[in-house]
Amino acid sequence: MEILDTYADDFSPQEMIVVAGARLLENNKVVFAGTGLPMVAITLAQLTHAPGIIPVFEAGAVGPRLTRGLPLSVGDSRTTSKAMYLQGLNSAFELAQRGFCDYGFIGGAEIDVYGNLNSTMIGDFPALYQSPKVRLPGSGGASDMAASCERTIIIMVHEKRRFKEKLSYLTSPGFLDGSPGARKRAGLVGKGPYRVITTRAVLGFDNETRRMKLLATMPGETVQSVQENTGFDLLVDDNVYQFEPPSREEIRLVRDEIDPEGYFIKKIIK
Amino acid sequence: MYWTGFTPDEAREILVNKDKSKRDKRMELAEAIDIFVKDGYNIGIAGFVNSRQPVAAIHEIIRQGKKDLTLSFQSAGLAVEYLAGAMALDPTRCSIKRLEFAYWAHESFGISPLFRYLAESGKVELEDWSNFNMSARFKAGAMGIPFIPCRSPLGSDVMQANRSKIMECPFTGDPVALLPAAHPHVAVIHVQEADIYGNCKIKGPLFTCPEIAMAAGYTILTCERIVDHERIINDPNRVNIPFFAVDAVVEVPFGAYPGNCHSHYYFDERHIKELQAAGEAFRKGDRKPLENYYTHYIYEVKNTAEFLSKIPYKQLQHIQQIEIRDFRLIHSVSRSDNGANAKSPAMLHRQLSSGR
Repeated sequence: MEILDTYADDFSPQEMIVVAGARLLENNKVVFAGTGLPMVAITLAQLTHAPGIIPVFEAGAVGPRLTRGLPLSVGDSRTTSKAMYLQGLNSAFELAQRGFCDYGFIGGAEIDVYGNLNSTMIGDFPALYQSPKVRLPGSGGASDMAASCERTIIIMVHEKRRFKEKLSYLTSPGFLDGSPGARKRAGLVGKGPYRVITTRAVLGFDNETRRMKLLATMPGETVQSVQENTGFDLLVDDNVYQFEPPSREEIRLVRDEIDPEGYFIKKIIK
Repeated sequence: MYWTGFTPDEAREILVNKDKSKRDKRMELAEAIDIFVKDGYNIGIAGFVNSRQPVAAIHEIIRQGKKDLTLSFQSAGLAVEYLAGAMALDPTRCSIKRLEFAYWAHESFGISPLFRYLAESGKVELEDWSNFNMSARFKAGAMGIPFIPCRSPLGSDVMQANRSKIMECPFTGDPVALLPAAHPHVAVIHVQEADIYGNCKIKGPLFTCPEIAMAAGYTILTCERIVDHERIINDPNRVNIPFFAVDAVVEVPFGAYPGNCHSHYYFDERHIKELQAAGEAFRKGDRKPLENYYTHYIYEVKNTAEFLSKIPYKQLQHIQQIEIRDFRLIHSVSRSDNGANAKSPAMLHRQLSSGR
């Protein structure tokens, strides 16, 4: 394969996380996908090293080929193109709960050191739940994916205000309080977060403490710059490395073929 | 514990006493809403985010000014945003009291400014669930059982913000969440095809429409077209909602517009953005654009046909073309390193959009 001298000259942080997300996905796995950047990453993986990935969309579609263009919603008609199974939300979530889904691919507005996510509200919970400072759209299916997919991969914009010591509200469970067996004790079936892919880094979780751990820095970032933009102390892997930039081909696929309108790639995430 | 909508016993009683004859249930939308939607009702809203949402029925609910509604749904955008806008403009005319839901926004089209407005100013009661929770609650209702066990999202604050109970499974001893069945007073559902009795076929993902219809006390079904009964029963496996779960059948072409209706039309991005911009202006203090929107598209029109007459024909044609075109794989990417014949999704998005 063409290497090294084929790095793209310019790419956005969104494009970088999509590329990183795609590279992490293994072929022939079932990936339950949230809306937006996860869809782009899965499609990129299908077009490169992992043509056998089976996407699952919560509105019902299982294993579509997305030949009608990038969906703008996990329930729109484009998600159904050549799907191999097409029922509804119950059937999709039952697949995850039963153990058919290897990865859940989700995002959130805030994350904590144990990979718990908030996509519900900013403010004082439960006191001000009925009149939050900022009301976010809500869980949707993200909490279901986090609860029941075998592992989750999280995509986030990396900002200090989003990487918080304490969440306002825990929408999608990660390792909960981080104590040994916390997920099992709560009744959850999946193993929890696997990777957090951000605009600045690729992170995993320490096996012992389940605290977030820096594995790789994105091009242009350093261990220090990542830590400075994180609202809690990060563990740093002994073999922390610089993540390989996107190749020209990866960027071409994203821009020209997968999201030519820039619906998700060009969006500025606030 | 308390119930919103019907209790399981009341819901059963409704069905036991219902006229289950195979009879012509066609009626006008205004008549259906007038008969089956009452102030204070819990309404099951079908569709998913902006796909196959019962927009036409919701516009009629707004025109008739129903108040103190509870809205039950998993993920919704347009239908609920329209109700929120009506309430934001004049809560004495149309209002939402309570929400039982998982997600309210427009996915790629962004947040829902009017939901934010109502929630942040404490004007609606919120009860948070996940999508699976809400779908399973409708399923429990459809099954005629008072609750259903579910794994998600145990350990989260979602479980603190709703009526779920966490108990020890009597068989395994592990914790499990128990969710109360949902029995909306009335469900509003838009589908592609139905016969005059209410048997219907849904194309594309089913979302949770069959379960909502089976769980609700009454169901108003709008459809893109009414088709011959013989055609529907030609393939009985494909009937998604049976006639005796339906109380009104209303033919409303473009009944989910400006949202997506599988195999009929895609999103009208331009129109959704128009509504979105008016809502955002309202949230920031300028009510004029939203007032204009509601006057022009909802209050000054009698019905969906008149609403659609205000949309440029080319715009409607465009969203039909996007949806019904026979899509083919345009590119074939073959990789020398693994030999896989991965097929590309198309650039046709761009091609189609440039045709506008």
